[in-house]
Amino acid sequence: MPQRESRTVSSVDPVLFEVIRNALVEATEEMSVTLQRTAYSTNIKTRLDYSCAFVDANGRMIAQAFCQPAHLVTIGRLVPRAVAEYEAEHGQGTLGPGDGLLVNDPHRQASHLNDVFLITPFFHEGELTGYVANCCHHVDVGGGAPASIGAFREIYQEGIILPVVKLFDGGDLVDDVLKLMLANVRAKKEVAGDLRAQHAANEIGLRRLSALWERYGAEMLGSYMERMIEYSERRLRAELAELPRGEFAAEGCLDDDGITGEPVHLKVRIRFDGSTARFDFTGTDPQRAAPMNCNLTQCFTACVYVLKCLVDPDIPLNEGFYRPIEVVAPEGSAVNVRPPAGVVGGWEVAMRLCDIMFRALAGPMPERVPAGTKGMICHVGFGGEDPGTGEYYCFLETLAGGYGGRHDADGPDAVQTHIQNTQNAPIEETELNYPVRIHEYSLVPDSEGAGRRRGGLALCREYEFVGHEPTFTTLADRARFPAHGLHGGGDGKVASYRLISGGEARDLGSKATVQLATGDRVRIETAGGGGFGPAHERDPDAVLRDVREGKISRARARAAYGVAIQPGEWTVDLAETRRLRRAQGR
Amino acid sequence: MTGNQFHLGIDVGGTFTDAVLICEETGRIDTAKVPSTPADPSIGFMAALERALEGSAVDPGAIAHLVHGTTVATNSLIEGKTPRTAFVTTEGFGDMLEIARQVRPSLYDVHFEKLRPLVPRDLCYEVPERLDAAGDVLRPLDEDAVREIAAALRAREVRSVAVCLLHGYANPVHEERVAEILREEDPGLLISLSSSVCPEFREYFRASTCVINACIVPVVARYLAGIEDGLGRAGLDAELLVMQSNGGVLTAEQAASKPVFMVESGPAAGVVSANFIAGQLGHADLISFDMGGTTAKAGLVLDGRPRVTKEYEVGAQAQPGQGMTRAAGYPIRTPVIDLVEVGAGGGSLAWVDAGGGLRVGPRSAGADPGPICYGKGGTEPTITDANLVLGRLNPDYFLGGEMALDVDAAAAGIRERCAEPLGLDPVEAANGIIEIANATMINALRLVTVRRGNDPRELTMVAFGGAGPLHANRLCMEMQIPTLVVPPSPGTASALGLLVTDLRHEFSRTRVTAADEADAARIRSLFETMEEEGRRTLRREGAAPEDMEFRRGIEMRYAGQSSEVPVALPREGLDDGPDDGSDRKLDTATLADAVRRFHVEHERAYGHGYPEQPVELVNFTVTAIGRIARPRLPRIDSNGKGVSDARRGTRRVFFADAGDFVETAIYDRARLRAGHAVAGPAVIEEVDSTTLVHAGYRATVDEFGNLLIAPGDAA
Repeated sequence: MPQRESRTVSSVDPVLFEVIRNALVEATEEMSVTLQRTAYSTNIKTRLDYSCAFVDANGRMIAQAFCQPAHLVTIGRLVPRAVAEYEAEHGQGTLGPGDGLLVNDPHRQASHLNDVFLITPFFHEGELTGYVANCCHHVDVGGGAPASIGAFREIYQEGIILPVVKLFDGGDLVDDVLKLMLANVRAKKEVAGDLRAQHAANEIGLRRLSALWERYGAEMLGSYMERMIEYSERRLRAELAELPRGEFAAEGCLDDDGITGEPVHLKVRIRFDGSTARFDFTGTDPQRAAPMNCNLTQCFTACVYVLKCLVDPDIPLNEGFYRPIEVVAPEGSAVNVRPPAGVVGGWEVAMRLCDIMFRALAGPMPERVPAGTKGMICHVGFGGEDPGTGEYYCFLETLAGGYGGRHDADGPDAVQTHIQNTQNAPIEETELNYPVRIHEYSLVPDSEGAGRRRGGLALCREYEFVGHEPTFTTLADRARFPAHGLHGGGDGKVASYRLISGGEARDLGSKATVQLATGDRVRIETAGGGGFGPAHERDPDAVLRDVREGKISRARARAAYGVAIQPGEWTVDLAETRRLRRAQGR
Repeated sequence: MTGNQFHLGIDVGGTFTDAVLICEETGRIDTAKVPSTPADPSIGFMAALERALEGSAVDPGAIAHLVHGTTVATNSLIEGKTPRTAFVTTEGFGDMLEIARQVRPSLYDVHFEKLRPLVPRDLCYEVPERLDAAGDVLRPLDEDAVREIAAALRAREVRSVAVCLLHGYANPVHEERVAEILREEDPGLLISLSSSVCPEFREYFRASTCVINACIVPVVARYLAGIEDGLGRAGLDAELLVMQSNGGVLTAEQAASKPVFMVESGPAAGVVSANFIAGQLGHADLISFDMGGTTAKAGLVLDGRPRVTKEYEVGAQAQPGQGMTRAAGYPIRTPVIDLVEVGAGGGSLAWVDAGGGLRVGPRSAGADPGPICYGKGGTEPTITDANLVLGRLNPDYFLGGEMALDVDAAAAGIRERCAEPLGLDPVEAANGIIEIANATMINALRLVTVRRGNDPRELTMVAFGGAGPLHANRLCMEMQIPTLVVPPSPGTASALGLLVTDLRHEFSRTRVTAADEADAARIRSLFETMEEEGRRTLRREGAAPEDMEFRRGIEMRYAGQSSEVPVALPREGLDDGPDDGSDRKLDTATLADAVRRFHVEHERAYGHGYPEQPVELVNFTVTAIGRIARPRLPRIDSNGKGVSDARRGTRRVFFADAGDFVETAIYDRARLRAGHAVAGPAVIEEVDSTTLVHAGYRATVDEFGNLLIAPGDAA
């Protein structure tokens, strides 16, 4: 009953094209489900900080299922490089069925050390046919602070570096590599469990691909994958023909590099010429002996993300989508780092690049570009000896903030932005598993950038540590430079990171690692989004609603929006509002 | 017809309200279909009821059993038509609903919107109190603060409130005290407690479930009361039962207090129906495939039990290709029959995208204007238009001939919108539309089978819905599903599910426990507490003790994971004493055996089990069932005539496997009798559906009138 397709591949059958394309994506989605369900660390299983992909034998990205846009370029850029390096060392064709390569080295164009990639070759009838790969943000990879985030000068301080090594050899786990890795990390059970999940995901991917190749044959699939790449490229170029042509520039700063108090200056010029998109970062600061540098892969990711938001979201992401994109990032700069500089803050840099690139495009494309957002990943990590179990635990999460206002809508409150879409960790689950108590998880009123369309509110999370003295780290930003408003809109409120100890609050800044005493609290308020358009043009009823919901105070409604609300009741004082707004308009 | 007793099921869907009436003595089935009345669904309900009773001349007093399936709960949420509802939680966490999961539902859309909370921020109240994860009180409840909230609720004219306190799943003491105080202050307030509605951990999901319950309590209670009034006036005194999302039924009284259990009442009936139909044939493992006008739904039944999920989002449709991104709907953590729904129904639109790709769905022409061939103003080609152009539908016998279909208009539309842009002829394009729709449906079928570790070659498909039988044979071919069952009257088969199920209540408690430290006695008492609650509820609903059954389960995971795998505790392993459900010996051996089965289930679902890793018991569940007698279904006899009696002639029908039109025999299903066999290629037509049998397959008619389609040649 199973019928083998016997059609020839001389011409593209549009139907088969769609069927095969969906089936390939489906295979990676199945990997994704498996990974999530079997993972151990909160960061992967609950917060979905991972992605899965299929890459063809030539190293070209064909299909991916990603939870995090941040990973949308990394696997495609890393796999060919990692395989080439492995084969250069061990000889062409030395990778066999059941092998699995482990790599996390940013200076080999992985991302930061926490993102550990597992690459498994796919063989069909003895021929190397492609690779399944996945990338997971592990809760700890060793280094100077629990959760492996923290501000250090060199990558050697950031954790264990995995060049390209075999974790699986002919189907067998290479125990020595696993042992070496686990000896270097704090949360051993979670890391081991997550590696098992990564392996399980790739195995599922191989099964699905084998079934597909069995059904359609290598020749037909090869031809259709070629067409899929051409299709994405053709569609992207068609969109580029419609985008406004010219060169558009913007710049911005990160608070500091984590080691010195010097802001890191980022600069971009974007050129659309009707068929290509060029992103030039010349003028960006030289790299720092600090964590706030990204590598070329992360920089490229930010560019692909921004472009993807500007065009039809329906265009499949594969190698063809990358082809019309050119990235110029000076080597040795903060956006194309060289060894041995630190890179653990690389995603923080890439995230800010997104905000800056959108800012560059706000003039020519006002209807498609949001105002500044929380603009940071906002890592929070802590760990220490669990007083209940006596084991070393590690915990990592990232906090949301305000989105930017859009031409026709407010910026949503408390949401992940741009290349990041990680979920929050449920408080009950966190308290059940870790010796921490969370006292508050709330919106921060008055943190929005005022505007005709206001920015989104920041959020607040306050932690207390019970019965032990953990190490606590924030690797974040936006404590000095706010999310920008657009077209007359106001900036969002900046973030704050405070340690409350013995009744006194102390500002930690956006990048700090501190040793806490039992009973200490840390209170983090993230950044609000920027506003869009002048605040005094905002519909007074919308201001009233925000005041009524407690998102904006009466005082701010008056000062920032020129809206007076009748004392003691929920109506706008129209006469007073007119007077205030006339004064503001001037 | 006096003396006979009848079972009546009424299923209110988006487009039509269906009634199914079965005579207990003779097994005769009558059906009625009337348009739904979304503004007040009870009007359609009563119309269907009257039509069914009139059509069969049955006296209302003869209705002994009455079951209702409804989408009223979901619709009121989706349309935002719920009365003012408030939310009470622990101090510091009043923004739980606003923040939700802190993610956006689409990754590359800068114009995205976050889901609007069902309770606005100014109706979210915080109360000073705090429990820890063990359920111990860290900070006592501030009762004065609760009284102040009660005053605020009165001032704001709030009728319904959801209370979800942090770690309330572990200990309900504060939630229950809050309820007492609120009730003292305002006896008319409707109160939903998270510890009662859904006592499981992960606060946002529990709160969301509880809030949805609170929002729909007033709507559902009023709706059901209205129906009961109408029934009384019509002279019907049978107890009104309502279908729940889990495929069981409960009394209207129960449904009115925990309506979150019935949000997916309608679609659940289809899976229950498929299970019943296949069960009569001795098939316990099956896929239910229901293809209607706008979507296709696939569900899974294993070992005679529909698969249920606790990860459901109200108002969100499955979007293949969207990966794990969620947060498109309001999550609920009550058991829902697991359905994968994709945008491929008869009315789904086909078009050519900017890159020259042929696409189908999820946009739909709906019933109005509908497909081009309906001639009601539709201009974009649909799956139905493609089926018509390929000769698979009979233009003169749609809805039994009530509506003539315009083949030329359909062909012209496909030519203009799909064929010419792609350089294909209209037939090739029409075939492409079908193939792509099939591919989408195959993805849905894969989601419920291989993705969950179930081999489709071991399953039976039951296909229904107006369009299901037209596509099902091809899907079975692709998925290597060996047997396809097409029940009689596929268009109303779903409503039959209402009449072939039991009273059913689900209970659960979260107690995260290491498997090797589990205390069997404590676990036993936890189960017994839930069973006692179940017994009380069933007794109130009139179930006799001998009809009660209690199923225990434990949701487990490897210590450190976050996704639990349910493991049923087998009755045999538990029962040493009398089978009254109260005297079971649950011991360490039972638990050890359950853990062993967890490893197997984990491997089945995810490809790997890790027997050396420590296991945690997370949620303990009890399903309380009150068995309801099944009606007998009618049997059809062989009438001594050959199959040629049912043959209407031939027509040219396009088959993808042949790559061309093939002269195909057409049969009238109404004249097919038990024992008849039809070899493919063939088309079998009936009033509300059309079945396509491919070459190499053979359809035989069983004693219940089902078509059984399997590989084979002519008789």
